[in-house]
Amino acid sequence: MSEADAADAWHADGAVLAAYSESRLDAAGRWSVEAHLTSCAACRLQARALVDPARLRRLREELIAAVDVPRTGLAERLLVRLGVADHTARLLAATPALRGSWLLAVAATLAFAVLAAWVDRGPDAALGFLCVAPLLPLAGIAVAYGPGIDPTYEIGLAAPLRSFRLLLLRAATVLGTSTLLAAAASLALPRLGWGAAGWLLPSLGLTAASLALATTVEPLRAIGITAGAWVVAVAVTVAPPEPSSVLFTVAGQVAFATLALLAAAVVLVRRGRFEADRGFDTTPRFAARRLR
Amino acid sequence: MTAPAPTVRARDLTTTFGRTRALDGVSFELVAGVTGLLGPNGAGKTTLLRVLATVSAPDAGSVLALGLDPRHSDQRLDLRGRLGYMPQEPGFHARFTAFEFVDYVAILKELHQRRARHQEVRRVLELVGLGAVRGKQIKALSGGMRRRVALAQALLGDPDLLVLDEPTAGLDPEQRLRFRDLVSRLGEGRTVLLSTHQTEDVVALAQHVMVLHLGRLRFAGTPIELAELAQGHVWQSQERDPGALAAWRTGTGQHRNIGSPPAGAELLEPTLEDGYLLLLGGDQVGEAAA
Repeated sequence: MSEADAADAWHADGAVLAAYSESRLDAAGRWSVEAHLTSCAACRLQARALVDPARLRRLREELIAAVDVPRTGLAERLLVRLGVADHTARLLAATPALRGSWLLAVAATLAFAVLAAWVDRGPDAALGFLCVAPLLPLAGIAVAYGPGIDPTYEIGLAAPLRSFRLLLLRAATVLGTSTLLAAAASLALPRLGWGAAGWLLPSLGLTAASLALATTVEPLRAIGITAGAWVVAVAVTVAPPEPSSVLFTVAGQVAFATLALLAAAVVLVRRGRFEADRGFDTTPRFAARRLR
Repeated sequence: MTAPAPTVRARDLTTTFGRTRALDGVSFELVAGVTGLLGPNGAGKTTLLRVLATVSAPDAGSVLALGLDPRHSDQRLDLRGRLGYMPQEPGFHARFTAFEFVDYVAILKELHQRRARHQEVRRVLELVGLGAVRGKQIKALSGGMRRRVALAQALLGDPDLLVLDEPTAGLDPEQRLRFRDLVSRLGEGRTVLLSTHQTEDVVALAQHVMVLHLGRLRFAGTPIELAELAQGHVWQSQERDPGALAAWRTGTGQHRNIGSPPAGAELLEPTLEDGYLLLLGGDQVGEAAA
């Protein structure tokens, strides 16, 4: 039946349309009116006059807001489920180190280190694992933030969100996920004990140190320097006849805890350095304050 | 009629990269409306725009934009909240859709309330004519569409100052036309500074024009004033005039020459492009002679 035929057949009563427009009809009534309205231009015109345009606009906006929502990835949904605000979750979801492929690579690296420990089975079988684990968060942060790494780095600098906050958020997330994976992997080491957690403080220390260094040089270079220093320290302190390292003794662990605290303080004091590509931070802070 | 109050004041901006002076004592004022920034490659246009967008600070000199001094951290953040910046080569998270990308930038701009933010994202995408493809992944969009996505993010929050670095690069003629229409509308009541290689863009939509060359500001005025620089310096001849600074064969088979015309030359009405070329050509000749 064409629209014209429908229009000739019958028209909705004015009172019915008024009740419909004020949401006073029951479900069956609403459906009947809506079915008729889709095929009858005259009644649509009449109904339109009865509905408050502001209400219609609001309903339309609500409908669009409910339907036109961007899909969110697994990591983002998980973060929101864990209570992270949706805007923060979006910032974190853009971190490459939260992608499945990255997490898989980290897990595989740890699995190989654990496997090597089982093959070795000696008193220092876990040494390889302890040396590799602290490098993983560094690698994650290396691909999380900075010029040439973050595609929106430049746009981000011109935006009011503090770059420091973005960097910290991402670094914390990367550190969190790699720590969780490393902790799970260390449970699978052949000899369990406090020694199996020897990677944790170096992890924190190196991550904080690389962030502190990033206030002076490009983030990527800062991470390279820190990772290089760790590799050298491991190579120097591991004595071949009896492979063990002072890095994982109590003294070594205290040193890394101290490094983490000192580096965190440096990051806090020099956080303004992350706010521009170059320049703004070179104004001596104290001089600027005095000028004001 | 009183002159409109400047919204941006820059004084003696100097930026050095190694031994290159990208900006060499550049001073200017901007008023509401569209200002075109012309200059050849390596003139310092991008450096200047990055300074205005607070992405990079000058080694020396000062900027006061919308009454705010970006040297002070709190004022810099206020300014960032009121400016839109489209970099020359905007990067995208390739897996993001157009909507997700603009939504991501909206979060960087601290639009936190989700529904209002999504509404704003839809608004700017509609504004640049991308409403229909907002759900498409950016890697599936054409180059022209990507530039419009980049423009859309700059329009978030209805900024008072728009800094656009070569926004028309890579657009086809129809997109360019739409873009000009959009930017000229945006220029009403807002300060828009856009860099371009295309003198036609400036003619079509800018009320003011600046010419930057080798880090120095060579001209600041209206497009008509830039064209008038070449008054009496453009002539037509059958053959290319060897004495001309620049000359090219036109569609009529005649040659259009710019420089010092010989006696009795058939002078032509200058265009903005003539003024621009004369300005640059004259400098290069002067430098060669020095």
